Amino acid sequence: MTSNLWLNELLANPTKAVGETLLSNYFGFTKEQLKKLLEIGLSRGGEFAELYFEYRISNNLTYEEDIVKSASENIMLGVGTRVIKGNKFGYGYTSDLSFDKIKEAFLAAAAIADSSNGNKVANLNEKKVPNQFYSMQQPVSLASLEPKIDLIRRGYHSAKAYDSKITRVTSSIADEMQYILIVNSEGLIVSDVRPQVRLVVSATAEDGNVRNTGRGNAGGRVGLDFYEKIITPEQIGYQAAEEAVILLKAKDAPPGEMHVVLSKDESGVMIHEAVGHPLEADGAWKKTSIMWDKLGQLVANPIVTIYDDATIKDLRGTLNIDDEGVVCDNVMLIEKGKLVGFLNDKLSAKILNHKENGHGRRQSYMHPPIPRMNNTVLAKGDTPPEEIIQSVKKGFYAVTYQGGMVSGTGKFTFSVNLGYMIENGRLTYPVKNATLIGTNIDILKEIDMVGNDMGFFLGTCGKDGQSVPVTCGTPTLRINRMTVGGVA
Amino acid sequence: MKTDYKKLAEQIVEKSIKKGATEAQCSIYDGVRFSVDVREGEVEQLISAGSTSLSLKIIVDNKVATASTSDLSSKTIDDLIENSIKKAKYLSKDEFAALPDLEKIDFNIESLKLYDDSAEKVSPSEKTKLAIELEKICTSNKQITRSTGAGFSNSYGTTYLANSKGFSNSYKSSSCYVGVGLQAGEGDNLYEDGYYDSSRSFKQLLPIDEIAKKAIERTTRMIGARKIHTQNVPVVLEPEMSAQMLLGFLVECLSGSNIYMKRSFLAGKIGETISSNLVTLIDDPLIPGGRGSVPFDRDGVPARRKSIIENGVLKSYFLDNYSAKKLGVKPNGPGPTNLSLLPGTKSQQEIIRSVDKGLLLCSTIGQGTVPTSGDLSKGAYGIWIENGQLTYPVNEITISGNLGTILKNIEMIGNDPDPRSSFSAPTLLISEMTISGI
Repeated sequence: MTSNLWLNELLANPTKAVGETLLSNYFGFTKEQLKKLLEIGLSRGGEFAELYFEYRISNNLTYEEDIVKSASENIMLGVGTRVIKGNKFGYGYTSDLSFDKIKEAFLAAAAIADSSNGNKVANLNEKKVPNQFYSMQQPVSLASLEPKIDLIRRGYHSAKAYDSKITRVTSSIADEMQYILIVNSEGLIVSDVRPQVRLVVSATAEDGNVRNTGRGNAGGRVGLDFYEKIITPEQIGYQAAEEAVILLKAKDAPPGEMHVVLSKDESGVMIHEAVGHPLEADGAWKKTSIMWDKLGQLVANPIVTIYDDATIKDLRGTLNIDDEGVVCDNVMLIEKGKLVGFLNDKLSAKILNHKENGHGRRQSYMHPPIPRMNNTVLAKGDTPPEEIIQSVKKGFYAVTYQGGMVSGTGKFTFSVNLGYMIENGRLTYPVKNATLIGTNIDILKEIDMVGNDMGFFLGTCGKDGQSVPVTCGTPTLRINRMTVGGVA
Repeated sequence: MKTDYKKLAEQIVEKSIKKGATEAQCSIYDGVRFSVDVREGEVEQLISAGSTSLSLKIIVDNKVATASTSDLSSKTIDDLIENSIKKAKYLSKDEFAALPDLEKIDFNIESLKLYDDSAEKVSPSEKTKLAIELEKICTSNKQITRSTGAGFSNSYGTTYLANSKGFSNSYKSSSCYVGVGLQAGEGDNLYEDGYYDSSRSFKQLLPIDEIAKKAIERTTRMIGARKIHTQNVPVVLEPEMSAQMLLGFLVECLSGSNIYMKRSFLAGKIGETISSNLVTLIDDPLIPGGRGSVPFDRDGVPARRKSIIENGVLKSYFLDNYSAKKLGVKPNGPGPTNLSLLPGTKSQQEIIRSVDKGLLLCSTIGQGTVPTSGDLSKGAYGIWIENGQLTYPVNEITISGNLGTILKNIEMIGNDPDPRSSFSAPTLLISEMTISGI
């Protein structure tokens, strides 16, 4: 173990202008040592070598059964080493930040190439992140315990007080602060400091033999003040309890094909699953995505425009730079129905000969970066949401979801937690236990009305065994025809 | 110099008590992993790494705080101990938060055969070759459009656990995996599936030509799939579906925290008939070489074999020390280990033959399970059964029902459990589920 001096410096000044501390002490190494390590990475003929240093503190607090039920703290420290050669890469990592251990990890990664001629490392130059898209005031991870306990207690009691049918409530807050330093053989040294928080309340309502669970949550790359200024724990608790109680009266969904209206609240998850994943560029160069050969083609109804914007301030999926040090941007994916872009990491951009666009992400130093979404948004249209519902004679209105999933071949499902039936242009009764199923190519063409509202869903997206925080946004949408799974 | 992690864990417990904890527990995992992914005959990624992690549980007067770290430097560990003690003092008293009393492990941990060094003896290039071979066999089949990748991985490591009740023990374990993913079909109408095997021992992995054969069969059988009409029909679950979908959901509904929080429709149902009397479900952590075998749980409670369902009657939940204390019973392990729905006598063919009109369920996608109510609804792929015969593949349908009803509607049990995972179950016939289509 090298000296922990870098850590002491960091913790003494945890929110100093983005990454400034890390850009002067490099996790305890000198620039010469970093360069030497990268040279070891390229020693077997690799074309690109990279070090990804990460230090992350995360905390979890849970309030349940009228007490603080659990409190945990997690520290993650380590470095990932990557070497690219052609379309392949080798990866190693270690939680022991000594020169020798990192060298060992780099040699493991370097084994992807097999030449005896090493490649050169460019001179290392610090680059500052050009923008700051996170709220760095009052980071929750650096706050003391009392205000956090206060938040979850308030969320808990708000849900409890909603209705006597609410029997159980769990209220929890998860926060983290991530410090990263990326150094690569192209000469880049860049650092980012990323706050993240989410408060989740889940409430169970019971009536005789019927039990249901509702959920409310809010957060992002924000500070403690978010829960005063933007949304209060009381509102989050209320949301959870309200959903649970409505579900007590919900009926099973009548199955079959029908008009489906997706509400703005959480339906972004559909855009994420059905459109986002197939537009991640690894599926394009591997030809495993249904979209790989459709660039420039009309793939959706021309009223549909979809982009991924990592630069929307404070959102859960927002990033200043991605996990390869590339500056993030707003990437247009589908413009007026036409497929115009993919989400790239460095490797995909190189293989496809596309521009790098800052979408290489990883769960931690133990994972190689892959193309991922950040904040995926279906752009607002001009129809008021009420008109969309009024246009449906008989159909299904989806409000909240348990999740969704898509295969490379474009087939997807969404599990709806709470929905409503639409009859003669009006919401009639609540519906539970429904699944929406389809193929992305079909659904994109079936979107025939786009609302003038907008909602954001906070998610954690899994791919190749890696989870990353994302946001997905959408206005109210009408799908002309979709299969609703329910109980006959 | 190799760190003595057993001693380190014991020292951390001791130090925690000295600094003011009433009880303390420390676990350390020290392991190594290797994985290679290949596609189109070439290595795509190679990962090789060692890692260590430590977790800590501190209890001060029935107030509990936990922590974990990948940084094992003494300063970080000392800080974590102090922070956790400080934090615990702030928290609420929870009378159930205590370590379990020390229990003797009355079997030889070695006899569980959790560790096997055969994968370590195979060179990275051999492992790579194996994955490339597997993929090649598959893609040489004309019906296969492309491979989404084949891979080999293995890992091994040692788990150490020490606590202030006097527990201190460790075990070494290993696992390896080989598998392939494929696409078949034409144009935009593609299907994805694949096959894999996993084991604690490299020597016991299925031969790659058998894996390839299964992968090809599973992927190509979906070619030409169509939608069907909405209807209620009998559903035959393939062994994989019985294990992943049915047992997977059931386990969630039987987990201790969902029970004491009454977030499961099975809360309070011990001793009641919850399924067809054909069903007996056993969890046995002590099977030698079993994929889910484990000598003791995360609180140092020795592992035990237990009946979960006996002839349809619910016998026990999965209870860690905390949930067990809440319910006033003995802990029996926090989760499933080697979970097995005991096989019956019928072959899958016989079961299919008994179905006039129904669905053979082959795979599902999506979540769609609610433990609170038992409701289940998922996207499904399958093969339509007509007059006891498999006819054509179907997709873009959903399958739904309620787990409570599904369990009671199990009418036949096959003799063909899938041995590849720690959840094992045979083909099952469910008398009625809802299929939603056109």
